[in-house]
Amino acid sequence: MANEPLIPSVRDIAKNAETLSPIDLKRIVPLPPPYDKDDPAEMWKEISAEKRSQIDASLDGVSALALKRPTGPAEEKRLLDGLKAGLAKLLSSDDNWTFRQQLELTLDHCTHCQTCAEACPIFVESGHNEVYRPSYRADVLRGLLARYGPGGNPIKAALQGSPELNWNTFARLAELAYRCTLCRRCCQACPIGVDNGLITHELRKLYSQELGIAAREAHTDGSVLQLKVGSSTGMSPAVVKDNIEFIDEEMSEKVGFTVKTPWDVEGADVLLMHNAGEIMAWPENPGAFAVIMQQAGISWTLSSEMVAYDAINYGLWYDDVQFARVALRHAEIAKKLKVKKIIIGECGHAHKALSVVADRILLGEANVPRESFAPFLASIVDSGVLKLDPSRNDFPVTLHDPCNIARAMGIVEPPRRILHKIAPRFREMTPHGVDNYCCGGGSGFAIMSGNNFANWRTLVSGRIKMKQILDAFAGELDPSIPKYLCTPCSNCKGQFRDLIRAYNAFERSKIQYGGLVELIVNAMADVKPGFLEWEFH
Amino acid sequence: MGFVAIWAYVTLAVFVVGCLYKAIKYATMPMHLRWELYPVAHEKGKVEYGGSYFEEVDWWTKPREVSKLGEFKTIAEEVLTLKQVHERNPGLWLPSLMFHYGLYVLFTLGVLLVVGAVPGVRGLPGLARLGGGRVLMALAAFGLTLATLGCVGLLARRLSRADLRRSSTPADFLHLWMLLAVFLASWASFFWADRHLAVAASFVQGLVTFRPVAGLPGWFGAEVVLLGIFLAYLPWSHMTHFFAKYFTWHSVRWDDAPNMFGKTYEQRVKKLLMRPISWSAPHIKGDGRKTWADVATKGGDS
Ligand code: SF4
Ligand code: SF4
Repeated sequence: MANEPLIPSVRDIAKNAETLSPIDLKRIVPLPPPYDKDDPAEMWKEISAEKRSQIDASLDGVSALALKRPTGPAEEKRLLDGLKAGLAKLLSSDDNWTFRQQLELTLDHCTHCQTCAEACPIFVESGHNEVYRPSYRADVLRGLLARYGPGGNPIKAALQGSPELNWNTFARLAELAYRCTLCRRCCQACPIGVDNGLITHELRKLYSQELGIAAREAHTDGSVLQLKVGSSTGMSPAVVKDNIEFIDEEMSEKVGFTVKTPWDVEGADVLLMHNAGEIMAWPENPGAFAVIMQQAGISWTLSSEMVAYDAINYGLWYDDVQFARVALRHAEIAKKLKVKKIIIGECGHAHKALSVVADRILLGEANVPRESFAPFLASIVDSGVLKLDPSRNDFPVTLHDPCNIARAMGIVEPPRRILHKIAPRFREMTPHGVDNYCCGGGSGFAIMSGNNFANWRTLVSGRIKMKQILDAFAGELDPSIPKYLCTPCSNCKGQFRDLIRAYNAFERSKIQYGGLVELIVNAMADVKPGFLEWEFH
Repeated sequence: MGFVAIWAYVTLAVFVVGCLYKAIKYATMPMHLRWELYPVAHEKGKVEYGGSYFEEVDWWTKPREVSKLGEFKTIAEEVLTLKQVHERNPGLWLPSLMFHYGLYVLFTLGVLLVVGAVPGVRGLPGLARLGGGRVLMALAAFGLTLATLGCVGLLARRLSRADLRRSSTPADFLHLWMLLAVFLASWASFFWADRHLAVAASFVQGLVTFRPVAGLPGWFGAEVVLLGIFLAYLPWSHMTHFFAKYFTWHSVRWDDAPNMFGKTYEQRVKKLLMRPISWSAPHIKGDGRKTWADVATKGGDS
């Protein structure tokens, strides 16, 4: 139940209110026709009063973490004390050497000019919900540090407008750390270089590393499972090999020649690492990779070692220690296989994790060079080794730039080079490249759907992307024209699957989504026509 | 020595030490993990669209071209035109531009006064004194006009624009009110005490030569006292962004230097991995004795 609209200040985060800043569905970004007639209220789900008595949804009526209320004063004190201890650790050169410099620079220098605000898709999409303002959560953290952090005192707290630390603040701040996709558009816009996305990252770390509070999908069902059984999908080495064998058979049938994925080839030129979610949800993606590798004559392999057959590294979003554990395993296995390089498949966060953030912790021989699938495939396409028939892709195509590949790594041109060769009706979204909007599923959101979080993802965090897609296909939205949203990232794909389903955009406009490799294979002249299937899944 | 001179020495010392302390603090923080953000200004030939060396096949085998000029151009454009504010926050741009240019002019004036006070120095400061200090006077009037109008404009925007007012901290308002007080005292001193900046010049000369002048006009004294309060406060506020930008841009957003096999990063990282960790969540159980190397190489699976 929504209460009276209120424009909360930073101090208000501590206030007793059933919902501090509810989602106002009347104010969310409008979509073009015919989607303008849809009633967002029909796509929304309130958390029941009974559920709300068990878990906290007092920030905006949404729950990403299903945070349980403390069982009593002792439990509450433990949590609040933990948060205070975590504040000090964020500023410690021992506990947070990994990000301390960036964090302190950001904490110390925001002038509250609000130049970043309109760059934030979530703030804009929500119709300017005040708690989604990029500087809001940063100011809550600054306020807590000024009052309870190292060197905190009443003068600093007064100057900063610090909130009180109570259960309301604790719970809402934890949720607030999951209302930002870490897309860092705000940081691009900031004239000073203050990084509100980083604040989200550090807050998530504080809750996870000090208190063990994180999104279940990212931690227990994510990085923990990956380290325990080999993959967050739950696939063991034996199962993954079985599944790939099955995919090979399927592919062979589809393309008209035998496709065989090599495993554990020592000294191969390329170790290909997929997000294992692809194997389960979009098997045509690893299948298409295998077809291209084989037809291009690449010396390549997959690894069946635990952790290495899943390129994901969810720690990137919430926990430096889990992050390091997975990254080190990935690199060690590549070193053991003595491959010349790792090619990271179509998974954005895996790109950033292993190529950028882990770069400086990979020591000695474990520093195996990592390359993105995009330039690698572009060089194969450029070489002419694949016979391509672009007329097979004669339908409208647009490209979503995954934030972690474009904004975090500067890989912009290679996927376009490929698309210009294989998709005659390719058109850009606006904006695109490093200025793109996040799909709305970034930083783990695409795998999080508990309570009403999936509704929030489709109505709030992904809405501007939906608008971009519809605008890119303007004039061709009729379902008689098949359209392809090329999205070379597993997490983005998960989000697009949910977006297209929620807006019924496959039935209404025949918008299909998929990776880049599928589109390449669909254009290969020696492959049976019709590789792409126009069925929604 | 009079109070005003002592005040000037003390507050200037706090300003300089405070800024140095903060800059040294940032500069000596441990090497962080990479966190660059594109466009990276030094990527030669690719910066226009935000591309990077990661776009090249086998990028580690190719020479890396870093354009210092690219970085300089981006910083200069931002400092001189406030590009981001112009494009994304146009309502704030004009007052912000006036304010910043006002400060640049007043800073230049300050430098001229100091340089001119050094015994034996002629040239530029001498030129500035030509015409009975008219150049100094013009600089002061021009700088103060821009800075005051900019400051009033920023205050007005912050008070009248709901989003800005709501997201401002008490400190944001305090900074602007403090600056306005400094500018108003400077105007008062300019009109009623020191139109040709002769008092300012002799005061600065006194400070530089450690022979402070006595008997200063009241408005001039008020100007120095208020300016001193502001300067002593500045290092502890977000206004250190004037130098912190170097770090946020150069050392974070643009720090894309790869860890090439066997290069310097390795030694530094090895040391960092030996640092103790005390995060207490059950999947870490840091006790202040375990190191990062300990926790990163085992556990995490329960
Ligand atoms: S983060 Fe940057 S752009 Fe945003 S309010 Fe702060 S200083 Fe302004
Ligand atoms: S990182 Fe992205 S989602 Fe988060 S505050 Fe910044 S712009 Fe908004």
